[in-house]
Amino acid sequence: MSRIVVTGMGLISAIGNSVAENRASLVEGKCGMSHLEMFPSKYTGINPVGEIKISTEALKDMLDAHEPGITRTTLLALHALKEALADSQLTVAEVSSEDTALVNASTVGGMCLTDEMYSDAQKETPGSEFLTSYDYGSISMYLQKRYDLNGPIDTIHTACSSSANAIMFGARLIKAGRARRAIVGGVDSLAKFTINGFNALHILSKDICSPFDDNRNGLNLGEGAAFLILEREEDVAGKKIYASLTGYGNANDAYHASSLSDTGEGPYLAMKAALDSANLDNNAISFINAHGTGTENNDKVESIAMLRLFETMPPFTSTKANVGHTLGAAGAIEAVYCILSLHQQEIYPGLKFQNPIPGTGLRPIEKYIQAPLNHIMSNSFGFGGNCSSLIFSKA
Amino acid sequence: MFYIHQTSCISPQQTFGDVDIKTLQESTEKKLNALEPNYEGIPPGILRRMGKAVRMGVGASLPLLQNNSLPDGIIIGTANGGKGDCVKFLNQVIEYEEGVLTPINFVQSTPNAIGAQISLLTGSKGYNTTHLQQGLAFEYAMIDADMMINEYPQKSYLLGASDDISLHNYYFEDKGDWYKKDNHTNKELYEINSPGSMAGEGAAMFLVNGIALDAIAKLVEVDTFQNDDEGIFKKRLKEFIEKHLPPNETIDLLISGENGDSRLSKYYSTCESLIGEGATVARYKHMCGEYPTATAMALWLCCEIIQKQFIPEHMIKKSGSVSAYKNILIYNNYKGVQNSFMLLSVNK
Repeated sequence: MSRIVVTGMGLISAIGNSVAENRASLVEGKCGMSHLEMFPSKYTGINPVGEIKISTEALKDMLDAHEPGITRTTLLALHALKEALADSQLTVAEVSSEDTALVNASTVGGMCLTDEMYSDAQKETPGSEFLTSYDYGSISMYLQKRYDLNGPIDTIHTACSSSANAIMFGARLIKAGRARRAIVGGVDSLAKFTINGFNALHILSKDICSPFDDNRNGLNLGEGAAFLILEREEDVAGKKIYASLTGYGNANDAYHASSLSDTGEGPYLAMKAALDSANLDNNAISFINAHGTGTENNDKVESIAMLRLFETMPPFTSTKANVGHTLGAAGAIEAVYCILSLHQQEIYPGLKFQNPIPGTGLRPIEKYIQAPLNHIMSNSFGFGGNCSSLIFSKA
Repeated sequence: MFYIHQTSCISPQQTFGDVDIKTLQESTEKKLNALEPNYEGIPPGILRRMGKAVRMGVGASLPLLQNNSLPDGIIIGTANGGKGDCVKFLNQVIEYEEGVLTPINFVQSTPNAIGAQISLLTGSKGYNTTHLQQGLAFEYAMIDADMMINEYPQKSYLLGASDDISLHNYYFEDKGDWYKKDNHTNKELYEINSPGSMAGEGAAMFLVNGIALDAIAKLVEVDTFQNDDEGIFKKRLKEFIEKHLPPNETIDLLISGENGDSRLSKYYSTCESLIGEGATVARYKHMCGEYPTATAMALWLCCEIIQKQFIPEHMIKKSGSVSAYKNILIYNNYKGVQNSFMLLSVNK
């Protein structure tokens, strides 16, 4: 079996509407946090968010997507998918072939329409145009029609590790011969639903989040979408190859519904499984894109798990202070960042760090540096103990 | 390809504990609600916080995890898991105007809560994932399990699905014209020629691996496609049978997902005509109603039929020429667009 390689990428986030814009923002250490403007909420002006400053109506015009029932989540996915497909230079026939899989991930789906969903869930109201849009699968159903996709089409939800699992599942579909190429990624948009949910859990910060800092006090939510085009190396002669996907691991922490165990068992097992599947020693990892949400629990446990696994800790950062925690999109967005790092041989600065967590002494990279990078690990951990880790390697 | 070794099911019929599928339980108010057990294996404090889909999913899985070592992974399909809690949390958000809210419904609203709670209760730290492609959510969980077992033939996986009728997703579906407007019971589901089916729910769990010895059945292949074109449907079904049914063998039993919806009957009649004259045709949606992961109930029934060598009269649409079933096809069409084929084979 030949390697699984990445031949196209698309990305929209609070720090840019394309892969190139995102890279430029990462290089200069831009923070995309701002105050919520696209919908009214009690938390506007209180909790910073990584919001994409394009209205839903403007996205519809930009993408020529005016079908009834279309949601912001679907539009962001379409925006990133369009860029990824153009970048990969797949033909229209290849895209709609029975050999092309789509694996999406989302944890918000159409619930960005919090008020509309509330109304449709009442007995007396007539159904709105959004009746079939609330579902997590509604995004892939739309993309299927838009691009006349005929291969396997799936949606995965493992909370904040969803799109890491979508990438893994797409690669496995290719390895199993169930697809020849796979469009994999994830999307989530900001919603009253998630803002209130994370607020009820007391893990939203009123400041810009500070991953791995001793004084961190919670996460910032963000929105965005990213897709990768995965192909078999043997099929892509002459095409540009950004990187290869060489390892992946998935494990469950089996400890608590919404926090990680003190020993970081799930994160440790996921990272270990990724190394094993890539057939790499831990000293082969050149850099880690940590999950690093900026919550008390995550950053401490992730540090402990990384220190358990790595005899010599590789350089690491989290990009949550750049774009916020984009939930179901985070794994895919950060996969693109890892691939950019490999492709450009550079590490982007982590933001808002001052003092290490006592007992761990871990300091994320704070300045832009160029460095020889061969293998990058990307972590994603979610509610329900769902932990996943991916390894991308130099093309 | 994988082997099914153990099964468990909570449904609107007597499928959990002392199984009796011969007696048909009736619907109430045009819904087939699951007959839920007491869930003795779930600590009461945890049980109280669980939404129905989570409860049924965890409850159905526990009998498969008692006398065995832990599975190497948990792979769940659900389309609506947690939606009841989603809307409960949504109601809090709107009604308390984003005030001080309790996070319980929010935490329970994530569809991965089924697989996560099974992990939490059993300490299972292996592969754990949740597929939710609407009417193909269970099929993608099966494909995932199939690939896992091909990668690791000696490992065992807990594979299953759970979906519930919450008051709220009932309204979404009802307003979308997916339930019959006519007053009827499940006994008349196939007789009323009108659009829509009947709301249902349930959870079914399977212990699967790559070991043939003592297996109930072999899942030869599962395939899906999303298209409402009848020509493509015929092509895909023919290709599936040609590729996966051994030469000179026939489909002996069709478990048809027919659900009384007049808009979908063309797919099921085409399927019956394409698989050959001799096959017995059995239906089951009058037992569990229509919901996105009802095919997990079909697979459970299939295993039950194989083990007991008996099909209840109320399931039979057409009796075929053979009474011992070797090759069994499960066909389902969800809302016209989402199609799935499963081929099972039994060693006689």
